[in-house]
Amino acid sequence: MIYQLSVPAAVPGVEEIRILEWQGEPGTAFASGDLIVELETHKAVVEVRAGQAGVLRTLLADAGDWLAVGLPLALFSDDADEALPDPALASDELVVEFDVT
Amino acid sequence: MSSEQTRMFFREAVSRAVREEMTDNPRVFVLGQDVGSFGGSYREFDGLYKLFGPERMRDTPVAEAAAMGIAAGAAASGFHPLVVITYMDFMMIGFDALINYAAKLRYKTAGRLTAPMVVKTTAGAQGQGVAHSQCIEAWLMSVPGLKVVAPSSPADAYGLMKTALRSDGPVVYIDHKRLFPTPGNVPVAEAPVPFGQAFIRREGRDVSLVTHSYMVRVALEAAQMVEAEGISCEVVDLCSLAPLDIATLSASVARTGRLLTLEEGQTTCGVGVEVAARIFERIGPKPWSRIGTLPAPVSSNPVLEAACVPNAGRVAEALRSLAGHPLTTSSFVTQEAS
Repeated sequence: MIYQLSVPAAVPGVEEIRILEWQGEPGTAFASGDLIVELETHKAVVEVRAGQAGVLRTLLADAGDWLAVGLPLALFSDDADEALPDPALASDELVVEFDVT
Repeated sequence: MSSEQTRMFFREAVSRAVREEMTDNPRVFVLGQDVGSFGGSYREFDGLYKLFGPERMRDTPVAEAAAMGIAAGAAASGFHPLVVITYMDFMMIGFDALINYAAKLRYKTAGRLTAPMVVKTTAGAQGQGVAHSQCIEAWLMSVPGLKVVAPSSPADAYGLMKTALRSDGPVVYIDHKRLFPTPGNVPVAEAPVPFGQAFIRREGRDVSLVTHSYMVRVALEAAQMVEAEGISCEVVDLCSLAPLDIATLSASVARTGRLLTLEEGQTTCGVGVEVAARIFERIGPKPWSRIGTLPAPVSSNPVLEAACVPNAGRVAEALRSLAGHPLTTSSFVTQEAS
């Protein structure tokens, strides 16, 4: 199954974030609890962690890019060899947890 | 000049301006609470302590009167201090040094001395209650010798701070807490924004909506709301409250024929009445009304805070009323008559 990771509404009032750092690349397998990406707001860093196991397939935005809350960041799948949809959209959201520091 | 832009957070626009001006002028230094290794209450000085060290990024105790007094004295002796008062409400403690000394110094010495200091502060309501939410810029506008500016975007924050740090007299530069989360595009090339210039953020034919700071966003939202009803609203961003750009304001109201002023401060002796009086002195009276925070202290209770502070619905209702369109039912409105 294909999942989409979107920018979480982690900090009240924030409409847009900047991507600080990805912690993997296409092909990287994440276990539940692994750090996927760090996002930057005006005053905090949001650590987005996997809430389920999955394989990162496609990055839809790079470090340094600006993205509005709710827009897609990446696609994941259960298995590394699953076919990706075209256009690259998934109906299911990847389950995530996030810490704001 | 290149029109290339780069996107950044509000705080980054401020820190860029301060970094550039500190690099160009060794007499500029910063003082205030947490401006040193902490990087500023809003991280607006991130990285500057490393660049300029403790002599030019000076942490002060919670003693606003002392900080303001030191800044005024340093300015009179040839430095260009940027004194940071985290909340505008606490400028009151330092008014004596700012108003009685810094703002009057040029007059008292027949121009032999000036006090080129910048007070950087933050206005506006965001859940912090009666003594951390106020917008008292109208008080400051009435002080001869004081310049007052308030950006609504990172580009203006950058440009106004640069001009402030080059100005020869005391400047109060006012950020708004609710503006910080929103990034914006800033010119890559150095781009000071001149004082005394207002900017038309949205063109319109029926009403001129004049405002500043965070309320520019509320105004644009309200203008959008009434557009579908056939009301064309021009939004003018003051940017500079003292001096006021009466030419741009008058030209706008002369074109549209109506004026609505909007501010987050109180309407009594507020920015709006001054704007209206100055425009009407020039072009004659026009239909107008004003919106501000309701006459009560802004509570930390979020329901009461939202009830007090102007929102787009209230502004849209005033625009309809002013444009001669029928009122629709809306929330808690006590629209003041012109």
